[in-house]
Amino acid sequence: MESLQFFATSWLSPDLMLLTALGTFLGIYVGAIPGLSVTMAVSILISFTFAWDINNALCLMVGIYMGGVYGGSRTAILLNIPGAPAAIATALDGYPLAKKGMAGQAIGLSTVMSVVGGFVGIFVLAVAAPLVSDFALAFQPRDYMMLGILGIMLVGSLSGESLAKGMFAGALGMLIGTVGLDPLTAEERFTFGHVELWEGIHPVAVMIGLFGLAESLEQLHHLDKAIIKQKVSRIVPSWKDVKRFLPLSLQTSSIGVIIGALPGTGGEIAALMAYDHAKRVSKKPEVPFGQGAKEGLIAAESSNNAAVGGAFIPMLTLGIPGDAVTAVFIGALFIHGLNPGPLLLETKPDMFWFMVGTLTMANIFLLIFGLTGIKIFSKLIQCPKGILIPVIFVLSIVGAYSINNSVADIWWMLGFGVLGYFMKLYGYQVGPVILGVILSRLIDENWRRAIIAEREDLGAFFAGIFASPLSLILLSAIMLILLSKVSFIKEWVGRIARS
Amino acid sequence: MHETQSKAPGELFFSLILLLVSCVLFWQAYQIDEFSSLKSPGAFPMAAAAVMFVTSSITFYNTAVKHFRVDGLAKKRISIMPLPVVIILATLLAFAVVVESVGFLITAYVFLFITIKFLYQSGFLKTAALSLAVLAVIYVVFRLVFQVVLPEGIVPEREIIAWFESLFK
Repeated sequence: MESLQFFATSWLSPDLMLLTALGTFLGIYVGAIPGLSVTMAVSILISFTFAWDINNALCLMVGIYMGGVYGGSRTAILLNIPGAPAAIATALDGYPLAKKGMAGQAIGLSTVMSVVGGFVGIFVLAVAAPLVSDFALAFQPRDYMMLGILGIMLVGSLSGESLAKGMFAGALGMLIGTVGLDPLTAEERFTFGHVELWEGIHPVAVMIGLFGLAESLEQLHHLDKAIIKQKVSRIVPSWKDVKRFLPLSLQTSSIGVIIGALPGTGGEIAALMAYDHAKRVSKKPEVPFGQGAKEGLIAAESSNNAAVGGAFIPMLTLGIPGDAVTAVFIGALFIHGLNPGPLLLETKPDMFWFMVGTLTMANIFLLIFGLTGIKIFSKLIQCPKGILIPVIFVLSIVGAYSINNSVADIWWMLGFGVLGYFMKLYGYQVGPVILGVILSRLIDENWRRAIIAEREDLGAFFAGIFASPLSLILLSAIMLILLSKVSFIKEWVGRIARS
Repeated sequence: MHETQSKAPGELFFSLILLLVSCVLFWQAYQIDEFSSLKSPGAFPMAAAAVMFVTSSITFYNTAVKHFRVDGLAKKRISIMPLPVVIILATLLAFAVVVESVGFLITAYVFLFITIKFLYQSGFLKTAALSLAVLAVIYVVFRLVFQVVLPEGIVPEREIIAWFESLFK
């Protein structure tokens, strides 16, 4: 009963409702504009919500996240340009549908199925998070340490072209996270004698630099890309279609929520796996996959929105962000004084149920905004980049300055923006950097706790790992990622598979 | 003679820089507490810097192999610093330098005017009007609604806002 009361908090306050609606609306449009990502929007907006009440800030951010994942599908369908990585699979069949003059139908179906996926994700979050949280109470410090490392490695290995570059990015992030006074001994680390560095580098300055500035600088390479206009007809889908595709939508939503809950995966992989599943189970699609099969579109859209609820599970129960967006999100929770982890549900069940309630509300707003305003939308996505990019730069500067009302944070943001620009240019992923920054403290503190518990005996530390099934699974997963990327092992496995 | 060229010029140099930075950071991490104990404040930074060193060495080696290979090179060459990037970075640096002394309103307006003029290539008056409209929206949303503090500089912003407020009283 109490949970229901917490769940309804955002539903009973007009202010919170308005902020959730605003966030969802912004998310849809930001997610839809190619070159602007949800991560970028959340990173920039976090800095403006520092002084806000936590509930207000959460409503806006949850809305942006939910809307942004869906928004990416719009441009994937209309322009064949996924607005977000999670919409890559959407473009495979969505764009061919638009080319056949069925853009309206494609948008309508993708909206309804995204909402179905969203509800499945939220339901699983509400049911599974308390169970995972109870289970996580038994975690040892070494398990947390390995879970953090695993998250960074998964993001580094799955999203980039090389594991070495992904691991470098993650380690760089961890090192950035250690700058300042050591929280346990107050010893200076990487401060170079500057008192200003005692408090470390603010993660939000790093986030805005890497996701706001670097992404916008990268967009300057594609200024001349012409936008193709598509005719959009009626977008509310027929009941017959919804009924027909609902079982597939539920199946692929389940895939989405499971994949989304694994650290390091996220909507992009969930959508591709669900697309593959739909291909295998749809024996006789009206149109072949890749040429406008509605099944492909539905699978991708249901699963990537279901993955949002999934991604909240490790974030809230273990304190481990699954991808770059949840890393930014977790950063915001820390800034607002919340400590995501197994104790969150014990000590602050109100915040957990509040988030579940807000996610549900954002999902409903998604349906409303998704099925309306298509004309304004078509105009907005044609906003020239020559105007849009300077605006993002100004917002990035305002965001960085407002962290501490200091120009120093603008310099940090610029520095990380330039670094991020070159990293992206040379195939380094910036997601692991931010994951490293956020998880640095968790890994550092748990490593020290674990080694102190073993009286600094490395042998006893490893013996402890081998004696615990959970620790052993985590270590095996880390080793598996590492070894699966070593070229001679890859060749050997390939040879075995061929023979 | 075969021409050696990589897909993105400067990749080898960038990976060398990262390798050198990793060495410096490892040394700095070592300086925190040397190898005093496994639980020392320097242990974790040293481990992270060691990972950076190893992975940047691997990347440097792979890039060097790709760079000096004679056959099968990527033919497509992309510009790493096209003119828009150089100009935007220069204006951003100038923005950061003068924003505190001159103030947000003037600096942001000049920045928006220069960058929109350069990237959108509209006429003088249209650019001036566009920049003003964009700045007005940003100012109203962030300064007045979100109450974000921005550097005032030479513009007596608070007095102006107070004057506007007095008009509505």
